[in-house]
Amino acid sequence: MRRLFLLLIATLALSGCGYNDFQRLDEQTKSAWSEVLNQYQRRADLIPNIVATVKGQANFEQDTLTKVVEARAKATSIQVTPETLNDPQAFERFQQAQGQLTGALSRLLAVSENYPTLQANQGFRDLRVQLEGTENRITVARNRYIQAVQEYNVKARSFPTNLTAKVFGYAPKPSFTVQNEAQISVPPTVDFGAEKK
Amino acid sequence: MLLRLPDPAAALRRLLAWLLLAAAGLLALAPTAHAQKLQPVPPLASRVTDNTGTLSAEQKTALEQRLAAFEQATGSQVAVLLVQTTAPEDIAAYANRVANAWKIGRKTIGDGLLLLVAKRDRKVRIEVAKALEGAVPDLAAKEVIDEAITPAFRRNDYAGGLSAALDKLETRIRAEALPAPAAQPDAAQASIDGDERTRSPQGFQWFDLAVFLFLAVPVLSSLLRRVLGRPLGAVAGGVAVGLLAFVFTLSLVMAGIAALAALVFGLLARTGPLGGVLPGSFGGLGNRGGGGWSSHDSGGFSSGGGGFRSGGGGDFGGGGASGDW
Repeated sequence: MRRLFLLLIATLALSGCGYNDFQRLDEQTKSAWSEVLNQYQRRADLIPNIVATVKGQANFEQDTLTKVVEARAKATSIQVTPETLNDPQAFERFQQAQGQLTGALSRLLAVSENYPTLQANQGFRDLRVQLEGTENRITVARNRYIQAVQEYNVKARSFPTNLTAKVFGYAPKPSFTVQNEAQISVPPTVDFGAEKK
Repeated sequence: MLLRLPDPAAALRRLLAWLLLAAAGLLALAPTAHAQKLQPVPPLASRVTDNTGTLSAEQKTALEQRLAAFEQATGSQVAVLLVQTTAPEDIAAYANRVANAWKIGRKTIGDGLLLLVAKRDRKVRIEVAKALEGAVPDLAAKEVIDEAITPAFRRNDYAGGLSAALDKLETRIRAEALPAPAAQPDAAQASIDGDERTRSPQGFQWFDLAVFLFLAVPVLSSLLRRVLGRPLGAVAGGVAVGLLAFVFTLSLVMAGIAALAALVFGLLARTGPLGGVLPGSFGGLGNRGGGGWSSHDSGGFSSGGGGFRSGGGGDFGGGGASGDW
């Protein structure tokens, strides 16, 4: 009888230790992260077109334009691997670079308001719509990543699954923080809100 | 039969009842986990939801009927929502939240589209599910807003603007080669599996289940048989295993299989006299356990525009466009 009880407890412990949950959640965060990268890449791909269109505008502020080009170069030069997720510093660098690009882009769009011919340019307006769509997709992808990481981190930190996490090396993952959230997402919302005026 | 149970059995039944309650509570809580001070997501009762009182009853019915006809013809689900404001969120964030809560679009295809109007904000958004981003890319959505919605809304012709926008959107969706609509959409199935994205893949459940069956079931059923006697022990073992499996995997199918296996084992292990009557009553129990899932309406599919049921497949990744008037 005692042995049977022990066996039962051992069985429950085996399913309850959460190893399989870690497999699932780890994959979930990875795929959510891929989507974030995917959308950032989409934005980076749009920028050359925007820059080219804006360059066609006579005497456009060179400084603003250069900053966008530089920020894009910096953001795309950062190597992102799956290991980035397990390295808070690399994650931070990536986030900062993307945040700078967001800032530079929103300045570019704000400055472009001063050029009526640019505003009337259908190509430029189309690019703005696409950029807005991409920023929205980035927001959604980031939110999904945050949720996935949250679920994963709760598992990795709470008892008893934290023991499993320690044994198999599943450390908590970094996520987008509130501070960066504000830094990244506020400027474009303001600009896009005034888009059609 | 239940009246003649000895005491341990009554205790066990109480325990099982608690387990069942706990499982039901978990299920009920799961979808409402994120409730903040944001604008609430309105319940999805029909294709056109007007919280502003802008549309007359006839206009609303007309829009609903055309959308119902469109769904019957193509299978794609299009919903219209009018609210006063989306504050504190911007319209894109709110539209995405509503669309992902409603999950409009067929289960396996996910072809849904939400047309959201924030009347007091004077903003409008077309939120496009991933499956339709090819048919209605951001630029096309923007064009629909600029050409159909904005001019009409400026004239205070809301129904006309919506109708013109739906004309353009439907043309675009029709041009996309989507699978033809099924004759009878399997709505019950859709609502049961609705939340699958947050759930685990199949392989993990099978593994857990296997561990369960091979180790726990013999132990459990022999234990219960000792306490309760042969047939009752087998039944109780089946119920317990089914419930545990349900708690672990959150899958009714898994729970049913596990319960059935445990029951069969319990009966075979000491060749009980009871025949095939029991498995039937068993399936009934398993089904009832998950009743809390199929969400709102019970009215089936009617082309009149009433009882609308989301296909549950739409995944909205932020595609679409916003505009104002």
